[in-house]
Amino acid sequence: MKIIITIGLLFVFIPTLSFSRGAKEEKPIRIALSGNPDTLDPQKTAGTLTFQVTKSIYDTLIEPDEKGVLVPALAERWDFQDEGKKILFHLRKGVTFHDGTPLTSKDVASTLKRIQDKNTGSPHGAEFSPIERIETPDPSTVILHLSSPSAPLMATLASGWSAILPAHLIEAGHDFGSRPVGTGPFKFKSWVRDNQILLEKNPSYWMRGKPKVPGVEFRIITERSIQVQGLLSGQLDVIDMYDAIDLPLLQKNPNVKVEKVLTSLVMVLAMNTARPPLSDLRVRQAINFAIQKQEVLDVAYGGGVPVGTFMDASDPYYVDFTSLYPYNPEKAKTLLQEAGVYADRTLEMVLPQNFEPHVRAGQIYQEMLQKVGLSVKIRLVDWSTWISDVYRKANYDLTVIGHTGKLDPDSRLANYGTDKTYVRWVHPEAASLITKAKSIMNPAERKALYSRVLEIMAKEVPFVYVGTSYRYLGTRKTLEGFRIQPKLDAYDFRYVEVR
Amino acid sequence: MRIRIRRKRQKIQKFFLFTSTVYLCFLLFAAVGSSYLAPHSPTTQNLNQRLLPPFTEGKILGTDDLGRDIWSRIVYGTRSLLLIGTVSVGIALAGGLVMGILAGAIGGIVDSFIMLLMDGILSFPTVLLAITVVSVLGYGLVQVTVALGIVFIPVFARLVRAETISRLTEGYVESSRALGTPFPKILLRHVLPNMMPDLIAQSTVTFALVVVIEASLSFLGLGTQPPEPSWGLMLKESRNFLYQAPWMAIFPGLALAATVFSFNYLGDYLSEQLNPQRW
Repeated sequence: MKIIITIGLLFVFIPTLSFSRGAKEEKPIRIALSGNPDTLDPQKTAGTLTFQVTKSIYDTLIEPDEKGVLVPALAERWDFQDEGKKILFHLRKGVTFHDGTPLTSKDVASTLKRIQDKNTGSPHGAEFSPIERIETPDPSTVILHLSSPSAPLMATLASGWSAILPAHLIEAGHDFGSRPVGTGPFKFKSWVRDNQILLEKNPSYWMRGKPKVPGVEFRIITERSIQVQGLLSGQLDVIDMYDAIDLPLLQKNPNVKVEKVLTSLVMVLAMNTARPPLSDLRVRQAINFAIQKQEVLDVAYGGGVPVGTFMDASDPYYVDFTSLYPYNPEKAKTLLQEAGVYADRTLEMVLPQNFEPHVRAGQIYQEMLQKVGLSVKIRLVDWSTWISDVYRKANYDLTVIGHTGKLDPDSRLANYGTDKTYVRWVHPEAASLITKAKSIMNPAERKALYSRVLEIMAKEVPFVYVGTSYRYLGTRKTLEGFRIQPKLDAYDFRYVEVR
Repeated sequence: MRIRIRRKRQKIQKFFLFTSTVYLCFLLFAAVGSSYLAPHSPTTQNLNQRLLPPFTEGKILGTDDLGRDIWSRIVYGTRSLLLIGTVSVGIALAGGLVMGILAGAIGGIVDSFIMLLMDGILSFPTVLLAITVVSVLGYGLVQVTVALGIVFIPVFARLVRAETISRLTEGYVESSRALGTPFPKILLRHVLPNMMPDLIAQSTVTFALVVVIEASLSFLGLGTQPPEPSWGLMLKESRNFLYQAPWMAIFPGLALAATVFSFNYLGDYLSEQLNPQRW
């Protein structure tokens, strides 16, 4: 009897075995997304989650390559005229939207007007304010007339929020937020809120032979440990983490490979310089001397490179000032005494509780500051409270956060030196240098100005600039060509191949 | 046969009763004498000794992600736990007594109004209500304690009201009234002492609930603020290290589970023993 059953089972199993070996799998790439995007309309949000998805659906006129250099995308080439006050874009020919309509200069003009329109409510709208007039002499040429030369504008046009939408759908009031239509490598298929977003290959994409995979499946998984399990068990192909805790687990698995890259984040301990005793430079210096940056990076942020100023370590504009404030607890104590700050003065550290690494870092800072005689009390707040209370109203003494980078240094540095930022650090020289650098097109000249700004910021320390953390990219071993756009953090699946 | 089973059951019951009592006594001792039981400070970090497994380098239960001693954190965590439990049950009990007696003794429109209010509070899920109260009052230990006290008032109020009404209609109360005993005295002499067993049992069970909800609130970041030790907070912090350092989650979790079990068991036992009607 047993034998019969065994043979029977064999007959059932053998065909299935040969089946799964035979045909090569043509499955979409499954990637974990760490939250539900608020919308898929690139012009109505500032959320990274949105751009991580929309990068595959829409295209921009130009885009950054792997090193951050701007290269052609929908625009084949471009010229500056009139000392940078006029930009000519020559559009690529034969590009069509997912609904079959061809891309023309009209689409570009309508899209840019849509972003500038106050009713659209784009959080990035102000970045387009240099554009005074848009001219479309023929279907494949767009001329932007600027009020004054603007260096950050090119970076803006290469960012996800400048994605080109079809003019006829803009006019029709189409809901791009839930049914996006673009020219991108993948077409939108479905979006189950808080669960998954499905995209399928766009066979008529303008890059020949790309994309190579039949589709992309974004799985919305907020819990990091579940993402890790998903990758280990083969239910996910790509995960993107900011934490090194799970590395040993991933490295043990033969089917998974992990890649380490620097993020564009600057992790900081921000100080409210409008409030005493933090308004005293000596106190801020003391706090800088009291922090062991590498330790904080390793323990709280999964490793990274310490920085000494308000720029991430991999940025072309970065200047190394880490030697200004080395770890020196004795000096910190002396400075605090000079400033007349003793342990009975308690500073309040407000932490965004949904970001576990920042909460961990906050506790480490607290201990390090305690060692030099500064008492710190922690208050956890939720994210929306952090934004409204800390970031907008500057209602805090100390806080811990990471500043994301943008393609252009201006978006990181804009407003610093004025009282408009949450550190309330006022420095007229720095502020005027930042404004001046914005309109200078010569890269070397710009770099000189920004270097001076970064030096002032490094010396005046409105922050403890802790460092730039690593990002860990976990993928299946068989998967190749997955890219993340530098600074923008958007996922690029066009070059992905499964071996 | 049946007798033997019953004896066995009684034995098990006695065993559980014994361990529960011992465990709770231990908790009390740990809260009072934390500094004797804990070899390290609960908040001192040691970044060179992160995620040590149990029984290494003198750390009985290992260390957490910032190198803090887990055993010491659990021991010190009993303080906030018992404090929150006692004070919020106290608030709930006091509030419940006042509301319940007012409603039960006066009756009429006062009764309807108070009970409408209590039912209103009861109709919200407990944790949700606690979160709402905490977000109005602000985060922190004191706020959580008050919030939990308020949340549990209706449970006591209902119990007290029912008891008051049923006692007041009993023969001995009526005869006492006929003899001219003043009403407050009747309440104090006859009504209150008779509801004591139920109140004690209810308090014990509520204590267990409060402990769990406090842990949940701390887990959500609303309760005890870091780096102060709280079991809920420890569980929250352990979440990211489940695969590398399961001891970070296991020990505070076990302590919490044992506490809740002990209080519940004791509460059940007390209500069985102290209430003659349930024979």
